[in-house]
Amino acid sequence: MKIITHSEKETIELGKKFAREFRGGEVIALYGDLGAGKTTFVKGLAQGLGIKKIITSPTFILMNVYKITNYELRITNFVHIDCYRIHSAHDIENIGAQEYFGRKDSVVVIEWAEKIKEILPKRKLEIKITSKEKNNRIFAIY
Amino acid sequence: MKKNKKKMIILGIETSCDETSAAVVRIANYGLRITDCEILSNIVFSQIAIHKKYGGIVPEVAARNHVKNIIPVIDLAFKKARVTPKDIDRIAVTYGPGLITSLMVGVEAARNLAYAWKKQIIAVDHIKGHIYAAWLASQEFPISNFQFPILVLVVSGGHTELLLMKNVKSFKKVGQTLDDAAGEAFDKVAKMLELGFPGGPAISKLAEKGNPQAFDFPRPMIHSKDFNFSFSGLKTAVLYKNKESRIKNKEYINNIAASFQQAVVDVLAHKTIKAAEKYKVKTLILGGGVAANKLLRETMRQETKRLGIPFIVPEIKLCTDNAAPIAVAGFFGKEILWKKLRVDPQLEIE
Repeated sequence: MKIITHSEKETIELGKKFAREFRGGEVIALYGDLGAGKTTFVKGLAQGLGIKKIITSPTFILMNVYKITNYELRITNFVHIDCYRIHSAHDIENIGAQEYFGRKDSVVVIEWAEKIKEILPKRKLEIKITSKEKNNRIFAIY
Repeated sequence: MKKNKKKMIILGIETSCDETSAAVVRIANYGLRITDCEILSNIVFSQIAIHKKYGGIVPEVAARNHVKNIIPVIDLAFKKARVTPKDIDRIAVTYGPGLITSLMVGVEAARNLAYAWKKQIIAVDHIKGHIYAAWLASQEFPISNFQFPILVLVVSGGHTELLLMKNVKSFKKVGQTLDDAAGEAFDKVAKMLELGFPGGPAISKLAEKGNPQAFDFPRPMIHSKDFNFSFSGLKTAVLYKNKESRIKNKEYINNIAASFQQAVVDVLAHKTIKAAEKYKVKTLILGGGVAANKLLRETMRQETKRLGIPFIVPEIKLCTDNAAPIAVAGFFGKEILWKKLRVDPQLEIE
């Protein structure tokens, strides 16, 4: 499936729409270059889950866990992982990120997921974000 | 009640990212009022050379090097300060925010030492370290002249925050980045231009030879009513400019670096000065690794002069990660039982 967005706002809306389908246990692997709009999409996912806190880039500390309190589903953790600066999957293992993979109370979204291929769970949603023009973003979902 | 003048000696430990650091600081004080901070030693083992070949900080490598270096660094801090563990009053350690695997090394060392030497342990917020670094900049501006409210801009590879201090122990976040930290934008743009790691110094160096007006990059959120920042769109704008440019000679790279740096500094300075006016602050402090940027320091100096308020920025080696300001922060912190101390990678200032 392919979806095209034409602005940052549309990308956020797409994320929100996506998040409404979550039932817990989802792992979303995001692929796309610098500036592709990965973090913007994640902001949308977080908003869709009712998170009010500002979603900032986790490049520096690798993982941010946001607690969800007032959500009608049983999802209580939104886990945002960024593999941009890591060189091996060990780095992600070491910070305890895998504990959240596939857990019913958690949704995990991973930027630069190609860097930790070997530890990604079998059941996952993969989204590749590309752009040909400044504002257009193509979301390929498989 | 007049308090007696006292002296406190604090061991500071900092391992939140890729610098292993320990410092011994002597603080002269009347109660909470510090009259003088003296750095007896401040040892920093930088892993930059190690991480350079990977093009960035590798968490596992960082943690392993912290483990290897932490005790020698602490030992050296004592030797240089010519004090023994007996002489110190407390141990201050960074417990967040930062890389969990790096933070744990410093925190475990502090716990062990506090237990073995029967010392008080103080858990310190890394951001407060960047703030209290200003208390060590006293030659230029004596601590007794610090007037509240103070506005602090903390800019580093992991943070971009505007904090309002009503007194020496109160922090209110009035603005922050909504996406990338300023230092992160520097690193990522440097990577696009293939300038290596760390990106900040590389870009500023080239920027000196470039034309800051060559490219009209966006100043994201410069006119928004709040005091938040955004650097992700600027990063993307540089990326697209770079993609469509055919000729990439030295002059071009210098111009990109200069124009990008100018955009970041413009936004940081504009918003900070706006906040300083709104909150009618009496002092402005700049801290964090990006505070080493010459253009940012100069711009803030001029802007605060225009505003007529004192501007305090520590010398560069106290802006980047180091343990001396952690020790100062430890002076103001509350004791925590070693058993209860846990790292908090996502710690938020309070």
